[in-house]
Amino acid sequence: MYLSRQLRLLPRANIARSLSSSGAHYTTAAPAEDAPIEIPNRIERSPTDLLQALAGTVARDHTAPHYKYHDDPFLIPMSNAAKRTYAMSKESGRKAAKWIKEEHRELFMHQEAQPAIEKFAPSMVYTEDSVVDESSLGQLISQGELKDAVLVYNLLEQKGNPISPDLKQSLLELVCFHNNQEPLPEEYIEERWFLQNNRRRERSGKTWKDGDLAEKLYSEIEPKTPQSYASLIRGMAKYLQCERAYALLQEAGEKQVQLDTNTFNSVIEIVSFLKDTAEQRWQLCTELLNEMSQQKLRPNLGTLNAVLQCISTFGNLKLARTAALQALPEFKQLGVSPSLGTYYYLLIIFCRERGPVSHVIVDILNDISGKEFQIQHPKDTYFFATAMDVCRNHLHDKSLAKKVDELLHTGKNYDLIGDSFKESIYYRNYLALLCQTELIDDFMMSYDRLVPNIYIPEPGIMEEILRAIEINGGVEYVPRIWSDMVVFDHTHRESLLLYVLRILVDNKPNPDSAAQAQLPEQAAKVALDMYERVEEAIKRLRKVSFTGQMLGDILTLLVRGGSYEKATEVFAHIDKNQHRIPGTPSLNALLEFVDASVQEKAPSQALLALQYAVENNIDSRALAKRIHEGFTLNETHLSKLKSLVGESFLDK
Amino acid sequence: MSSALTRLWERLPLKKQTAQSGIRVFSNQEPQQNQEVEDDEEFRVLSLRTVKQQFQRRQQVRRDPITPPRTNRMAVDQDWTAVWPGPRSFHPASVPLPLRQGFTERGAAAPSKFANAELMKIPNFLHLTPPAIRQQCEAIKKFCTPWPKGLETEAKWQRHFPLEVITTDYCQSLPTIRNPEARRVTISLKLSDLKFDAHARDKFLRLVGDRYDKDTDIVTFVTDRCPQKKQNYDYALYLLTVCYHESFVTEPWEATKSEADMEVYLFERNQSKLSAERILNWNAKEGAPKVAPSKSFAVCVEQLINEGENEYNLGKYKEEVKKMLSIA
Repeated sequence: MYLSRQLRLLPRANIARSLSSSGAHYTTAAPAEDAPIEIPNRIERSPTDLLQALAGTVARDHTAPHYKYHDDPFLIPMSNAAKRTYAMSKESGRKAAKWIKEEHRELFMHQEAQPAIEKFAPSMVYTEDSVVDESSLGQLISQGELKDAVLVYNLLEQKGNPISPDLKQSLLELVCFHNNQEPLPEEYIEERWFLQNNRRRERSGKTWKDGDLAEKLYSEIEPKTPQSYASLIRGMAKYLQCERAYALLQEAGEKQVQLDTNTFNSVIEIVSFLKDTAEQRWQLCTELLNEMSQQKLRPNLGTLNAVLQCISTFGNLKLARTAALQALPEFKQLGVSPSLGTYYYLLIIFCRERGPVSHVIVDILNDISGKEFQIQHPKDTYFFATAMDVCRNHLHDKSLAKKVDELLHTGKNYDLIGDSFKESIYYRNYLALLCQTELIDDFMMSYDRLVPNIYIPEPGIMEEILRAIEINGGVEYVPRIWSDMVVFDHTHRESLLLYVLRILVDNKPNPDSAAQAQLPEQAAKVALDMYERVEEAIKRLRKVSFTGQMLGDILTLLVRGGSYEKATEVFAHIDKNQHRIPGTPSLNALLEFVDASVQEKAPSQALLALQYAVENNIDSRALAKRIHEGFTLNETHLSKLKSLVGESFLDK
Repeated sequence: MSSALTRLWERLPLKKQTAQSGIRVFSNQEPQQNQEVEDDEEFRVLSLRTVKQQFQRRQQVRRDPITPPRTNRMAVDQDWTAVWPGPRSFHPASVPLPLRQGFTERGAAAPSKFANAELMKIPNFLHLTPPAIRQQCEAIKKFCTPWPKGLETEAKWQRHFPLEVITTDYCQSLPTIRNPEARRVTISLKLSDLKFDAHARDKFLRLVGDRYDKDTDIVTFVTDRCPQKKQNYDYALYLLTVCYHESFVTEPWEATKSEADMEVYLFERNQSKLSAERILNWNAKEGAPKVAPSKSFAVCVEQLINEGENEYNLGKYKEEVKKMLSIA
């Protein structure tokens, strides 16, 4: 329990006023010689302002996971799947609690909290026989309880209770907004975060329920009000019942019904579904805008974004550009300030795949860098992912990408990243661009900052990173990357394994440089780890299998790292499973193995290698020569050598 | 095996006498043979129906590899306030300090921070490092106003703001945000800030009783009889006002105060004044101005009687009497 004690001092004037009411002979007047005091006015603040100011001092800790996860090595998610699983299981616990609350409602009827917390009480249950009236319907609508509201409405209808037109209108709005489908409750943030773009895929077709409650309600409202028109048009447009929405708009126009701006916006958004070619779309769009101006409607941000959305669907790039450039200054004149969604549309209008290169993003960034944005339009969350995509794939510009990243981390702009899907697209593009354009040391710094708590690279990006390491000769980073690959579960990708080995084998470590002094041992460890993992994987999942090339590289690395015994083990594996392993190790791998055998004085191993080479049709002369020169062989070994490469070899 | 069979027999119910004896015979007669069988092979199960044997391969649970503690990855110059922003129990993988705590045998090192309950039990102040406090102060500075001009010293603000009001807010982890203690209001002021005459002061002190502290000269009202803070505050100010005004009212019965009711000895209204005057005006002519006893004599007599007889007071009294009577 914390207590804060307030000490307030009352000024003399106050007391004097309260004490001096009855007589003047004992007042306590302040001495007159005092200088006047100036007390500054209180700075107004909301109840949460202080907390927000304090929260503003906390920066993101890159070594820690997101705060929704437990900060404990056992519970920190280390792959994208784990991130999703952990967050969703936490939320499913919340759901279970909610289910218990509803299922055993009798246990939660007490209300200890003061003031009472409505969310902690079980919700009202409405059934066929519950006694309802208009006020309960109104309350349900204001709470946004769609299912119960519809049930109560039906009950009222059955009993023949009159329902006021206002209430009907608000129910119509609720039903149109949700298309008479229970929405995902607001408190499930994780579910929303990981919903990805399922929702968008759903929305590609018409989902409006024809002849459902919304239209019934609409038909009941007589006479038709502008609001009822507006809500039905907006609902139809939102759920892509395009033709009827447009027809209804025209009907309203004929009947001289005064509609509002947002209704026109919703119809402009679906122009692309109404007309097929760019010219027709643009014509319809301008018609609608003209109609708005006739009705003296002031366009807003939604209008701007709807127009740009319409333009972005034009196949004709030239028309799209001119139309966009025409629309923008006009809206600027009207005093509509663009949101991030507007810039998103501009980016997809100007920067198209296979289109000419456009530098519109430079101007956009000059315009908005350092600004803090609030969400104003649903598409605002698409900006950052798209901007980074443009930076990487369209312009391939590192400095622009850094500017975008800076904008993302300005103020509360990170709230506009969208969901996990968009966030991962953003970082995928960012990291891929950085690894292609930055020096390897700089890149590894940003890699350390982002991976794994903010972003976990997919196998494709891992390959890009490995490529960057190979090109820049940063072989000392490979062990680090390998341990990350193990953690992120990339070890069953054969191409990645081969890539790691190739980098390690091709870049022979320079023993003089301090950074690479440890490298041979580390590389041997990586190779051994990989060998064991692949062996394990073969036993279990068979997702990945050995190839001769891979085993040869592992052999080389083990030999270089000085773990000869392990190398002989690996070689024995190669030798024993010749028929199962596709391909053979390279000659260089065998040569290095033989050299190591010479050093370790193990002629039988060397002869085994020679035998393997002969059997697999590898050029064995160099091997034989090394063996002959390196060892003073005894009779049995010599005869073996002879039998393998022939008498003639020794005579030379 | 024989022991196993005996145990089996013990467990059989009494009804099955025959079966019992049979087993018993078996177990007694052929222990040797049994032993051999046991050595040869395992106990064979009599399976009347051929049941398809189900080999349940135990699924090995694949565990994600556990990462090393994140302290390994922390930079030396990291922003600690971001790592540990709020109060939290100790976690070894997040605190990059080689802490040790706990009791061990003599000579051994104290247990390290990993899996150390001692470190988790104690409250830590890792979130209240000086840089964190500095940052937070900077952040909330924008809500602070400058100190009022003209109130620089304590004497100054005490003169301008004589009345102190103390209230308390409670923040607790309970379902209710209310705390009954929060209704209490304390107001206090120096008595010297109020203006009294002798009667009013006396009456005021009688009215407030032990709410007046003679040593510090402070009157304190504590009110808690109303359910809300605001009401209690209003009530406290009301009490102060009423007491003050009441102290200036002289009731008719106050005039009937006799010498026996006096709480202190006053020279002015006592016999010793008359006696002293009579002595001083001995043989004075009619109409001549009366000689009054000196002020210091009055004080001295009051002191002698109010404080009691002690060496100092008696000595002083002697001096004064000598002075008054001009006995050098």
